[in-house]
Amino acid sequence: AGQTNLKSPQDIQVYVLNTNFTLRWNYTGNDTNVTFSAEYRFEDFETGETEWKELAGCQNVTRTECDFSSAITKYYDKHHVRIRAERREEVSPWSSIVEMTPYDIAQISPPGIELQSINGAIKIKVSPPEANQVQKMWIDCLSFKYNLVIWENSSNAEFRNRSIFPIDIIDDLAPDTTYCLKVQAIYPTDSKEGLFSPIRCVKTTHKAVNVLFCATNVSVIALNMKFHLHWNNKYKQHVSYNVQYLIGYLKKLYDDYSMKWLNVPGCENITDTQCNFSSIITATSGFFYLRVQAMSEYNKSCLSNEVKVDPLVTNEIGPPAVKVDISDVLLHIQISPPGGSENEVMRDHYDLSYRVLYWKNSSDNEEEIKTKEVKQTIGTISDLAPATLYCVKVQAFSKAYNKSSHFSKEECIKTPGDKILPLIILATFVTALFAVLLVATPLGFALYQAYNKIKYVFFPSCQPPLNIEGFGGQLFNSPFLSTTEEPIENCSIIETIITEEANQIDFKDYKHSKQSSRDSGNYSNDDDTSGSKVSEETLEKEIV
Amino acid sequence: IMNAFGLIQIGLILLCTTTTTSSLQCNHLPLQQRKVIENSLQLLDRMGKKFPQQCLREKKSFRFPEQVLKPRQKETVKIAIEEIFQHIFYIFSKNLTLAAWDGTALEQFQNGLYQQIEQLEACVIKKQTHYFRSKEVNRLKLKKYFQKIDCFLKDKQHNLCSWEISRAEMRRCLQLVDKVTRKL
Repeated sequence: AGQTNLKSPQDIQVYVLNTNFTLRWNYTGNDTNVTFSAEYRFEDFETGETEWKELAGCQNVTRTECDFSSAITKYYDKHHVRIRAERREEVSPWSSIVEMTPYDIAQISPPGIELQSINGAIKIKVSPPEANQVQKMWIDCLSFKYNLVIWENSSNAEFRNRSIFPIDIIDDLAPDTTYCLKVQAIYPTDSKEGLFSPIRCVKTTHKAVNVLFCATNVSVIALNMKFHLHWNNKYKQHVSYNVQYLIGYLKKLYDDYSMKWLNVPGCENITDTQCNFSSIITATSGFFYLRVQAMSEYNKSCLSNEVKVDPLVTNEIGPPAVKVDISDVLLHIQISPPGGSENEVMRDHYDLSYRVLYWKNSSDNEEEIKTKEVKQTIGTISDLAPATLYCVKVQAFSKAYNKSSHFSKEECIKTPGDKILPLIILATFVTALFAVLLVATPLGFALYQAYNKIKYVFFPSCQPPLNIEGFGGQLFNSPFLSTTEEPIENCSIIETIITEEANQIDFKDYKHSKQSSRDSGNYSNDDDTSGSKVSEETLEKEIV
Repeated sequence: IMNAFGLIQIGLILLCTTTTTSSLQCNHLPLQQRKVIENSLQLLDRMGKKFPQQCLREKKSFRFPEQVLKPRQKETVKIAIEEIFQHIFYIFSKNLTLAAWDGTALEQFQNGLYQQIEQLEACVIKKQTHYFRSKEVNRLKLKKYFQKIDCFLKDKQHNLCSWEISRAEMRRCLQLVDKVTRKL
């Protein structure tokens, strides 16, 4: 390490293509007899930084670039590289350090292409970059997507881009025309685009005479997870069909999948131009491809176009069934999910909701249609007008898949109204009346009795007759009234005398009667006062 | 530089085509994804029998980088999920004869994964590269994780135990994705 007039290399760049590492730099100084040597170190996530090591393949190089592919094995770790110039014993200072993570700067090399011109179309077979290498930068070759650019070999040609499978057919081409194309590999999750393959040009052949008995217009009709394939055939006689399916992911592999088409069970050697292939589809099964193989009586076969099926997207949701019930002013709606209540698939995978439309079905058609969205299979509508005919129809929909079914049949029901209401009113009235009577009658009776008693006590209406009053005490004295009648002789009551005397005696009698009332059981008159004797006498007088 | 410009142009064209398709049917992606992952876990179980006892001693810790599923931005997580699905799809496309698993279950498993990969690719908008750089360390860790599993299988020549251990590991991985998908 002596005096250095040597300049360090500048503008160091690392170029990586797959697992090929190239170091490039500039040297501005005097480059006679100058060699270059490089060092590297890397940083592991776990072990940390290593020491500077000699970079194999970049020792004592004379050119301003070197290949150090053999030195690097850790593609995901950060590396540092530096280089210096050397001349005999002189060494330049180390250049600035280049930091790089191999994977990040690595470029994808072009893929391999094989072309075949068949029947007016081009069959292309792509082989991945690093196809036969042991050491790979792109371990997961299945993740590559291939982008094809194709154009007509003429002036003002339009460039068309399309994504292709490793084995694919480009069939939207004009026959007897030369097309040029190039393909690049893309690593989607890293947004990495590889280099294009060299341009290849090929001429399409003429299209073979349209085989008459091929199946055409192949289409899928799917409702409530029941899948049917339909097709047409102009040539009706003596043609039998074989419906075949291919599991979607097989197209992603590099292997030839032409032998992997399978017959749909129940659709082998049929003459009908439709096939029920529900048996091979489930909601989570992924994509499928379907095609129809037509076989003529002469043992010639013809394959139709392929149709791609994405089960939940291709499938259509059928209408639900509706039942309505009424109770008071509440309308109860019972919804049976499409496909039946036992068909959990629809509900599960589509996350179904239901849209209920209801309106008043009256003679004037200006009634507004109201909507209600429900998640469950039971709904209730309130705030209804009584005695009105309401109609309901329901639609199932999946917000996630942006799909909705047709509406169910209309179900109409009338809310209870006039017929019952008057009855209710009448019943209420009668009950009230009855209740009132029930309460009022005894009350009235009780009041009447009370009134009578009061009247009797305070205003007795029953005055004893005046003649009886004259007898006063005697008769009223004895509680024991003699029942034996005294012999009645012709007698007449001299009212006038009695009245005078009666008046005099009246008060006395009254007193006496008061006194006599105290007596009980005794009818002897010995205790009587003089007054009473007098009255006796007068009585006797009268009687006689 | 011209090369790069050309690439950018093509990239933009591709981006445009992908954005137009993504504006179409992407609403169903979360719902469908949850269902497919649920189904995939069931299929993984159905494929083979219980984990063989004799393979326990060969069990290796691969250490899945869970932080790759934790970033705050939805789009970044979706891209990570897409990458995870791609790697699992790749692993299960290898030579499985020694594993002797149920072929139908395996086919359905692969097909379900493939559909999700296609959907994610069509629906997740991948922004410019500067958006990625901050998260690249995690994604590189993710690639390292799958590389380890790939190497492990190669070293053991894809024998039964190596497959069973890988299957158990992938199951764990999918369960983590399942948890994240439910939150999205």
